[in-house]
Amino acid sequence: MTAPITARYGMVIDLNSCVGCQTCTIACKHANDTPPGVQWRKVIDVELGQYPNVERLFLVTGCQHCAAPPCVPVCPTGATKQRPDGLVTMNYDTCIGCGYCAVACPYQARTIVHEQNWYYGIPTAQETQVAHDDRIGVANKCTFCVERIDSGLANGLTPGLDPDATPACAISCIATAIHFGDFADPGSDVSQLAADGRAFQMHEELGTDPQIKYLYGLPGSTPGRDRTADDVDEAALQDPGNPLVGQRQSFWDMRAAMNFTLGGMGAGLVIMAWLAHVTGALPQTGLLILNVIAGGAMAVGLFCVFLEIARKARFLNVLLRPQTSWMTRETYAVAVFYPALLADLIWPSEALHLIVALAAAAFLYCQARILPAAKGIPAWRAPLMPWMLLATGLLEGAGLLAIAADMLPGAREAAVLAAGAGGVLAVINALLWRNYMAEAKTSGVGPLARAALQDLSHGLRIVGHALPVLGFALFLSLFFEYPFVAAIAGLGAIIGGAWWKITVITIASHQQGFALSKVPQRGSGTRAAPARMGTAA
Amino acid sequence: MSTAKGETKKVPTYCFQCVSGPDLIKVEVEDGIATRIEPNLNICGQHPGKGTPCVKAYGLVQKTYNPNRISQPMKRTNPKKGRDEDPGFVPISWDEALDAVADKLVKIREMGLKDNSGYPRLAASFGGGGTPTRFMGSFPALLAAWGPADLGFGAGQGVKCYHSEHLYGELWQRAFTLAVDSPYCEYVINCGNNVDASGGATGVRRGAEARRRGLKRVMVEPHLSVTGAMSAEWVPIKPKTDAAFLFAVIHRIIKERGWRETCDVRFLKEDTTSPYLVGPNGYYLREPDTEKPLIWDLADGRAKPFDTAIEDPALDGSYSAAGLELGADDEVWRHDGVEVKPAFQMLLDHIDQYNPEWAEAECDVPAETIRRVGDEFVAHARVGDTIEIEGEILPLRPVGVMLGKSVNNGPGGYHAVWARTLLSVLVGAIEVPGSNLGTKVRLNRPANNKHLSAVSSRDGIMDFPFNDTSKEGWASQPRIRNGYNTLVPLSSSSPWAPALGPAHLPWLFQKEAPDNWPRPTLPDIWFCYRTNPAISSWNGPEVAERIAEFPFTVAFAYTQDETNYMADIVLPEATDLESLQLSRIGGTGSGEQFWKHQGWMIRQPAVEPTVDAMDMTDIATEICKRAGILGPYNMAINKGAAGMKLVSNKFDYGLEGDVAYDRDEIWDRVAKAASHDLSDGEEIHGIDWFKEHGYMLREFAQREWYLYPYLKERGIRFELPYQERIKRHGIQLANRLHEVGVEWWDKQLKDYDPLPKYESFPDIWTDFVREKGQDPEDFPFWALTARSMQYAWGANVGIPLIYEVAENVAGHSGIVMNMQSAKDLGIGQGDPVVITSATGVTRGNAVLRQGIRPDTVLMIGQFDHWATPFAKDLNLPSLNSVTDISLSLTDGTGSGSDIVRVKIEIDTEARSAAS
Repeated sequence: MTAPITARYGMVIDLNSCVGCQTCTIACKHANDTPPGVQWRKVIDVELGQYPNVERLFLVTGCQHCAAPPCVPVCPTGATKQRPDGLVTMNYDTCIGCGYCAVACPYQARTIVHEQNWYYGIPTAQETQVAHDDRIGVANKCTFCVERIDSGLANGLTPGLDPDATPACAISCIATAIHFGDFADPGSDVSQLAADGRAFQMHEELGTDPQIKYLYGLPGSTPGRDRTADDVDEAALQDPGNPLVGQRQSFWDMRAAMNFTLGGMGAGLVIMAWLAHVTGALPQTGLLILNVIAGGAMAVGLFCVFLEIARKARFLNVLLRPQTSWMTRETYAVAVFYPALLADLIWPSEALHLIVALAAAAFLYCQARILPAAKGIPAWRAPLMPWMLLATGLLEGAGLLAIAADMLPGAREAAVLAAGAGGVLAVINALLWRNYMAEAKTSGVGPLARAALQDLSHGLRIVGHALPVLGFALFLSLFFEYPFVAAIAGLGAIIGGAWWKITVITIASHQQGFALSKVPQRGSGTRAAPARMGTAA
Repeated sequence: MSTAKGETKKVPTYCFQCVSGPDLIKVEVEDGIATRIEPNLNICGQHPGKGTPCVKAYGLVQKTYNPNRISQPMKRTNPKKGRDEDPGFVPISWDEALDAVADKLVKIREMGLKDNSGYPRLAASFGGGGTPTRFMGSFPALLAAWGPADLGFGAGQGVKCYHSEHLYGELWQRAFTLAVDSPYCEYVINCGNNVDASGGATGVRRGAEARRRGLKRVMVEPHLSVTGAMSAEWVPIKPKTDAAFLFAVIHRIIKERGWRETCDVRFLKEDTTSPYLVGPNGYYLREPDTEKPLIWDLADGRAKPFDTAIEDPALDGSYSAAGLELGADDEVWRHDGVEVKPAFQMLLDHIDQYNPEWAEAECDVPAETIRRVGDEFVAHARVGDTIEIEGEILPLRPVGVMLGKSVNNGPGGYHAVWARTLLSVLVGAIEVPGSNLGTKVRLNRPANNKHLSAVSSRDGIMDFPFNDTSKEGWASQPRIRNGYNTLVPLSSSSPWAPALGPAHLPWLFQKEAPDNWPRPTLPDIWFCYRTNPAISSWNGPEVAERIAEFPFTVAFAYTQDETNYMADIVLPEATDLESLQLSRIGGTGSGEQFWKHQGWMIRQPAVEPTVDAMDMTDIATEICKRAGILGPYNMAINKGAAGMKLVSNKFDYGLEGDVAYDRDEIWDRVAKAASHDLSDGEEIHGIDWFKEHGYMLREFAQREWYLYPYLKERGIRFELPYQERIKRHGIQLANRLHEVGVEWWDKQLKDYDPLPKYESFPDIWTDFVREKGQDPEDFPFWALTARSMQYAWGANVGIPLIYEVAENVAGHSGIVMNMQSAKDLGIGQGDPVVITSATGVTRGNAVLRQGIRPDTVLMIGQFDHWATPFAKDLNLPSLNSVTDISLSLTDGTGSGSDIVRVKIEIDTEARSAAS
């Protein structure tokens, strides 16, 4: 059943009604049979301010069915789609469980369950009856109870008005805090409630246009207020017990980081080796040897990613979304790179050398675009991130080349090119890192992730930036006499690159937290609603 | 309604796990397995919660399929009992189990129903709030058939309930509990009543609607509760000083602002005892012939009986008048001309000392806040306004005052409830649209109609079934071990009275017998059902030890728990979704159950029992059959012990003599009688009709929500501000007790004060630390508890789904502390801590929050389990493990309060184990 194209389903949630009882949470769990620990609808318990000026509120969270959903374009398989009526859907049979949608979501809406768990540790008759094997190892999220909507529409019902066509959380809400309906219909309950700026959208600045809108004021009595700086201060954001604070993502671990590390340096090496070759500093044999080494490193990285995806048998589905997904495109680059490399080994030619280099460049570029598209991780989505990944890949390539040059016959001049380029790239990397760190706070990286970056930063500057710059410079200034100096500098570049990528991907990778741009006016001290001596409106 | 393979059905039934129910639900059943719960939206138009259940109802599916359920009857093989003794339970057949219970009962009947101390040999305890009766089928008929039973072993009653509100609420406004009339109310002063966690689906919905409409609620409490969170303002008050706050609000209204400007003067004069003249001995001045209280008529300067034509009753001043005072026992004073004052003048004199600056020092709330709250209250009271309800013009007074647990029980409870009710009375905001309303009666009769119980005493106020304190009438022999009828005149003698006496005293006296009191004895048999006093009572660990001393305990059990660990016979009952019962619905009830309908609803087996369990009705019938009391049992059901009498002058669905009826037959007759009664014989339905339709309703007038129109019709006044009856009962009770040498209740007798005097209530708990030989300085925090909507009453702490969602609400994972206080002690988020009081210890993890006073810590719910599967591994602290049962902490109504002084330290043992 296709919904009318004019519909735009969404929710309005009233922060002055929700008491945080979790009835919607549990009703959702019943309606959707979600397994232990998975809550498509979750209500978090939020505090703003500091004693004795405190406000507490309950924030309904879950998939926001964004009008511009960041999870949809990143998905390499097309399992996540957006319907004409705005619903962001999941096809469990297509999804490979790569987790890209999960890190792309700034609302912590997605989960992946890797194995069937039972509430009591053993299956009960009821859990067995309602278990969904098709949801294991694939991305899960709130569907707005799409089956209810569709069967309701098929029976002539109106979502939002008729309970049988309305999400379970909305009809179960005991406080009438959750309203569902069609924002495309200006007369709908949700449109009316959210009209005239009475509602805000979470993380509006990210451009996702989420379709859950929060009411923060009480018309006629208490207008609500703008968020202030001390509602959630740095100390609050450092508190891991604070539900507003995003926790470290667990979707992409070392396996994913290895792809960025080995893939980046491999692709960088191919590019640098090709540059050395076309400038005459590296004979063809050396180029081919280095390309094989680079291809091997990239293959190990890709194998790590293969290990990361939950539904391995479906891995070819990764090719299904070249229109929008940089992950798919990266795979296409791989699909060009390896055949071209093989052909180049059998029938070496300048044209094939170029094709291999271009495929590696495309691979590196795709990688540089994958991470920043993950809008759910502030440390990844920083504007400088693609430049950093590109510059680091090339620097690592230069580093590897500098190490290899001494070992390969007739490649000593390649060390000079590697040192020259590496020195410049190390300076660029250092500048990019400095700016990245300087902008981290303003670009939304929270204190926990910033602390992890800070822990890394000092060592990175020494090993990953200063050592290559000084080493390469020393090598050049000593008239290329001491190749081990370049090699040490190159090693520093490689270590530095791997270090920061692994850190950013697995340690400083806290999810976007929750935030409110407007809040109800209530609480103690300065946050209390104003005195009211008249009668209610 | 069970289903076969391949079928899917939605079975209507109800959840009544808490007093704020019922919540009507549908159970989805696939292939005979209950899979999901959903709201029963068929009743959306009639149910004040629009047919939505709260979070707890959704736990019932996992409850049904809990693999930790007790799967067959069991008997104990280890004669030793205690926490450290493995009970050695072994499975037995139902026949053997029922015979064992029946044999015991037969032997007891042969010995006599009461023991040498005059106490019933049979005792039974049920969980709080009366909710177990919604699940126990016809078991009440067994008790009725049996005869005297001791239902007064508490599981936390008194300290966990709205105790002073129960007793004084029923005295003053037929309000066992109170609610505000949310659909009309505009302003609420709420001292710690966590209604958004405790008011059920209905309370939450009506509260949210009221906020959207513009209601302002000011929450006065030491920590920012769920309800505080949803209030316009949170006022952090020092624990247990709420009465001081309320006294000062009264002071602001009647002294600073002036009562003539702020109060509903007409109401005070005509509808309260404010103008009753009080003589020099503290009793009403009465007309000598009729003994009617007198009122001074300013129009002609004469004192006249209260029920005569009085043009202008005096509320203040002092006057010289003649009359008599009737004191305690036979004291009578006759006055020819003596200075007397209206009760209201007595109040003005009394409240003079309690100004906002005094209160600020006591309760740590700025005087200006107190003044502003008083002014807002008056501004919103809309004195003089009216509203039309069902064609009748009634006063509209849209202000309320709510009190929470620990505020309205224990020492200071009387003071807070008096001040609250007085605040309502001052502006006429009592039992009228928009104001505080009573929900139901439990002490007065009839139980299902609060209005019919409101009959006038000779003094023109509501009569009340006090337990007699006169020389002739006082019961020197306690009826049961908690002595409610002997010690607490206000507890009355209704079937609810045993649970509303000092329900903790049996445990205390069992350990240490009091002087000049019948020797405490152990019940020969104790039934426990849907209750776990070993966890839920104050000082649960101590109570567990007392339970272990009982010689023969029969536990109806769902899983192993800390109380049935001491049982001799364990009987697995068919649980919520597996058993059959018909229950009343609608009218007015706890929480905010204010309906425009009333009737009956069904709880029915959605699925067959998943273990070898029996329906409570069948268990009761079988025990009675085997114990030879089937005839009286059937007779009790006929008289209404299963919720509806089966025989009346209009119908006869009665059970016959000694016949053992099966469950469905009994409930079929109840269904027919109930539907007959509801429809005046127009629409008679058997149980099968209810199984299909779920409920049956008829209209219930909204006017029934309000008591004031009834009092007005009957010329009855609210008995405020002056408590002449309380004073007289107090003195008489003191005389009686002293006559028999009981002096250990003297502290409690101080509560019988006609105008309650504030004492620094928090000191009672610091003094208790000294009493235990320790230094109060060592225990710098007030430890409190708070309601968890997810857990309260549900006995669902062993259900992982409930645990999972409750974790989303702050405080469910440990002990809540102020962020800064914790930092000062070097305690970080999630750190394991030890919580120690002068008498107990409990452990848990620190939950650091901003919304709590720096001197206060909070332990939500009741945990510290050691036997209940799943729950015992949660590592959650419990206030019940650090409180103590003591007469020093007991008030005149026989209640205590959930508060204790504690210290908090890092649990180095747990921390090193973790690392």
